[in-house]
Amino acid sequence: MESSDRLFRFPKPQWMNSANTRSGGVYVAGALFSIALFVLIDAATFSKSHLNGSDFHMNFVDWIPGIFSALGMLVINSIDKSRLSADNFSYSGDGVAWKARVVLFMGFAAMAGGLAGAVTVMVLKYVVPEASWPALWFGVANVVANAMVMLSSVVLWVSQNMEDDYTYNLAL
Amino acid sequence: MAGLKTIIVLSFILAIGFLLVILSSALFKNYLTLLVVATYVIAPIPNWICGKAQNQDDFMDSGTSSIVELGRFMTGFLVVMGVALPAVFAHCDLIRIEAMVMSIIGGLLIYGTIISFTMFFHEQEEF
Repeated sequence: MESSDRLFRFPKPQWMNSANTRSGGVYVAGALFSIALFVLIDAATFSKSHLNGSDFHMNFVDWIPGIFSALGMLVINSIDKSRLSADNFSYSGDGVAWKARVVLFMGFAAMAGGLAGAVTVMVLKYVVPEASWPALWFGVANVVANAMVMLSSVVLWVSQNMEDDYTYNLAL
Repeated sequence: MAGLKTIIVLSFILAIGFLLVILSSALFKNYLTLLVVATYVIAPIPNWICGKAQNQDDFMDSGTSSIVELGRFMTGFLVVMGVALPAVFAHCDLIRIEAMVMSIIGGLLIYGTIISFTMFFHEQEEF
């Protein structure tokens, strides 16, 4: 079973299947999401504080990409991963995998749109009007936060797929 | 077990942590850093609640259920929040850098104590 239907040349390292790595991955995902949120909050607080001498301020527009990214992450990670291959089994209902793929696609689109929107906000609101460094941080923080949300989602996805392998190993 | 020594050492560390956090707020007459203590006290609660929720429903399931993972996610979120909150305050000049350093170290000491205590009691339950 190990060597016959393997696709890649190098085997998956053994520690990837342990329960500790899996729960650690979930913790790391939470930590990354927290960093993302606090980078955004830092930019907003800095915009209101007396250190910001410029005319640039964060308003609701700067939060929209973050909201979309978080929404996409929520959608992606609330899908049951085993439903993605549900059409291979005859006993599952009609089109479950298709529905799951549609919802998953919407989640990925929301997340990619969030990242793209962050870059758009940075370019249109801060780079084109030539903001200098402390004000440029609002745009950079937006991109960093959305990238962190994406990274957090990837880590969560990988550790959830690890779980499947682990239970599979337990079952056999 | 070497229980008594551990308890004494842990309580000393907890006291030092609280001392650092309270000093960081009282020394500069700025009580925002006390939020760190609140964060670290809240941090183990999601794990605990979700663990209880799992026990009720599906103890036949051998894998980890998603509600436990939600609890872990929120715990990771709150732990980083305890470090990120003073950093944000200091970056935005709401507290001073010294207060940030003291509250971060104090908060980590408090959280380490809480975690060590729970691990200690779990071990006692098992055997």
